[in-house]
Amino acid sequence: MTWQIAFQLAVSGLSVGSIYALVALALVIPFKASGVLNFAQGEMVTLGAYIGLVLSTSLPLPFVAVAALTVIIAGAFGVLIERLFIRPIVAAPEFTLVIATFAIGLIIKAAIRLHWQDNTFPFDAPYAGPALAVGPLRVNPSYLIIIACLAALVGVLVAFFRGTKFGKAMRAVAIDPRAARLMGIRVESIFMSAWALAAGIGAIAGLLVAPLIGINPEIGQLIVKALVAAVIGGFTSLGGAVAGGLLLGVLETFCGAFFGATLKNIVPFGILILLLLLKPQGLFGGSLQQRV
Amino acid sequence: MRGKAIYAIALGALMGLGGVARGEQGVTGTTIEIGAFGPITGPAAYIGLGGRDGANLAIKEINAAGGVGGRKLVLHFEDDGHSPTKALAAVKKLVDEDHVFAIFCVAGSNGTIGSIDYVKESGRVMYVSFASAPGVTWPFARNLFRGGTTEVPRYGELYAEFIADQMQAQKVAIMSGREEYPKNEGDALTKQLQSWFNTTPVVRVEFNIGDKDFTSQLLQVQQAQPQAIAFFGNPAEAAIAMRQARELGLNQPFFVGVTMVDQNFIAAARQTAEGASGFALVPLLPGSDDATLKAWEAKWKQEYPNLPAGRPNIFDLLSYGDMYVLAEGLKRAGPEPTTDKLIGALEGIKDYRVSVIATPRTFTPKHHIGNLQLVAMQVKNGQWVPMAWEGKHPSDILKRYQ
Repeated sequence: MTWQIAFQLAVSGLSVGSIYALVALALVIPFKASGVLNFAQGEMVTLGAYIGLVLSTSLPLPFVAVAALTVIIAGAFGVLIERLFIRPIVAAPEFTLVIATFAIGLIIKAAIRLHWQDNTFPFDAPYAGPALAVGPLRVNPSYLIIIACLAALVGVLVAFFRGTKFGKAMRAVAIDPRAARLMGIRVESIFMSAWALAAGIGAIAGLLVAPLIGINPEIGQLIVKALVAAVIGGFTSLGGAVAGGLLLGVLETFCGAFFGATLKNIVPFGILILLLLLKPQGLFGGSLQQRV
Repeated sequence: MRGKAIYAIALGALMGLGGVARGEQGVTGTTIEIGAFGPITGPAAYIGLGGRDGANLAIKEINAAGGVGGRKLVLHFEDDGHSPTKALAAVKKLVDEDHVFAIFCVAGSNGTIGSIDYVKESGRVMYVSFASAPGVTWPFARNLFRGGTTEVPRYGELYAEFIADQMQAQKVAIMSGREEYPKNEGDALTKQLQSWFNTTPVVRVEFNIGDKDFTSQLLQVQQAQPQAIAFFGNPAEAAIAMRQARELGLNQPFFVGVTMVDQNFIAAARQTAEGASGFALVPLLPGSDDATLKAWEAKWKQEYPNLPAGRPNIFDLLSYGDMYVLAEGLKRAGPEPTTDKLIGALEGIKDYRVSVIATPRTFTPKHHIGNLQLVAMQVKNGQWVPMAWEGKHPSDILKRYQ
C-alpha cells in the first residue's frame, strides 16, 4: 500500500468515523442527562435528512439556511418526543424505556415510508462535487466537510458545556439530578433540551450523509456502529464518543482494505471485545467504583 | 322435488349475485384477481416500487377501457423485501389465501428464485417481468413466462462480446454483489469471456447489497490493473463505487449491468456515470425525446406526482408493458379463462407490445422468453444514448430457442 492510498483511506475512515461520532454524541448526551438510551437515534438521522429534503425542494433557500432550519425543526421533534413519549414513562424500568425508544424509531420510519416509500432521493449540497486533487492525492470534498463539521460541533459543545450557565446546569444534572434539582435547576427542562440537542445533532449527521448516499428510510442505519463508538469511548464521555467513532471508522476502513469486505465488520468488533475485556469502562470512562 | 328446485334456484341466484367463481380460482363474473410480488422496502425497493406502480398504471387504463372480456383486473400486491423466503411466503399467501388466478412477478432474481419451485408445483401461471435468473425459463416449465428480460446467460454472451469487441479490453475486473442477480451476471460474463475469448477476469471481487463503502474491493481492482471494470449490483452501490474508484485514481471505463441502464443510475451517480456503458432492456429509456414515451411519462407523473428523480424507471416501463401482455393473454384466453387457456393464449403471442415504449414480446410452446432484444447504450452528457453496436457472435443461448 502506497502512502497516497494510506492517506486517502485515513481521510475516508475519519469521515465515516465522524458520522459514527456524531450519532454516538447524540446517544451520549440524553443518556447522560436522563439515563435513557435512545435506540431511535438512527431514525433521528433519517428524520433530519427528510426534513432537509422537504425544505430544499419546497423553499428557495440556500443550503446553509436549509441546514439551520433542519436542525431547528429536528430539535423541536426531539422536544416533542421527550414530552410525549419519554417523560410520561421516565420512571419506568430501563428495559421499558429502551423498548419505547425502539418503538419511536419504528414509528418514525413507518411514517416516512407512508409518504415517501423506499424511493431514494438524491440530495444536493454545494460542496459535493468531483474529488479535489492535491498533488497525487484525491480527496472527496464531502469527506473534508464531514470531518470539519464534527470538529466545529465538538468545539461548540465544549464551549456550551463549559462556558454557559445552561451547559453547566446540564453537566450538573448529568452528575446528580437530585442535587441539581435541590440547587434550583429545572431538571425536566434539561432533559428536554438534551433530547432537542441530540435530535439536532442527528439531523446534522443526516444532512452530511445524504449527499453521499442519497436519502431513503434506511439512511440512519448507524445505531449499532454509534453504540460501539460510544462504548469504546466509555459511554458517558463526549470526548470518548468522538474518539470512539473516529477510531471505529478508521479501523473499519483499514481492515476492509487489508482483509477484504467480509472481515471489515468482524475485525473492528473483535478489537472492541478485546478492548472491553482489557478495559471494561471503555477508553475514556472512569473506573468503576461501588461502595459495598 | 319442489324443495330441490327451490335449492337450485337459490344457488343459481347466489352465484349470479355474488359473482362466485365459475370453476377457476381467481375468476369471478366481474373480476380477474392477479397476485403480484416484489421488493418495495429495502435496498432493492426501486425494483418492486417501479414494478408495482407500472403494473397499477396499466391496470387502471385497462379497466377504464372496459377490462378484459368485461371483467376488471384486481391486483393483490405483496412485499418480498428482496428475500427468497419472504417471496415464497408472499406467493403462498397470494395463491392459497387470496386465491389469485395468476401471478405477476415484479421481484428481482433473488425473490423470484425463492418462489419458483412452489409456483411450478401449484400450476398457477407466473408471468415474470424482470428477473433474469435462468431458473425461470430453463429448464422449461409450462406455467412460467418471462416478459421484459432475457436469461442471464444471454447477458453474458452480449457483455463478453461488447467488452472484448467494443471496449477492446482483454483485462477485465468484475465487481459483483453476492445476491442472485449480480452474482449470476458476474458468473455469466466470466463463463463467456472464457468460452468465447479465452480470457479470465484479472480479478473478481464481491460486495453485499446495500454496502456503502467499496474501498477494499477497489484496491484489489487497482492492483490487478484492468482495462475495464464490469460492475453488477444496484444503482446506489454503483454510484458510490464509481465515485470512490475515481477518488482512488481508477480511471478505467465502467461497464454496468442491465438494472443500471436507467435514469435511476444517472440520478444517483451524477457526473461519475459519464462514459459508462451497458445494455438496455427497453427500446426507449425514460428521459428520451420520443413523443410516445414523453406522453407516457406525463401520464405516469400525473398518477404519481411526488416521486424522486430517476422515476419512472425501467421497472415502471417493463411492468407497464408486461401487464398489457398478460392482459392480452387473458383476453385471448376467451370468456371463461382457465390456466390452460391462458398458457395457450400467451404461447400464441407474437411481437405484441402496447406501444413503441416496450420491446415486442413473443412466446412459443418451445420458449417462454418474451424479449430477446438488448440495446447497447452509453452515458453521454447525463443521458443514456444508444450505440451503433450489435453482437455478431452466433448465440448459443438463442440457438436453444430456435
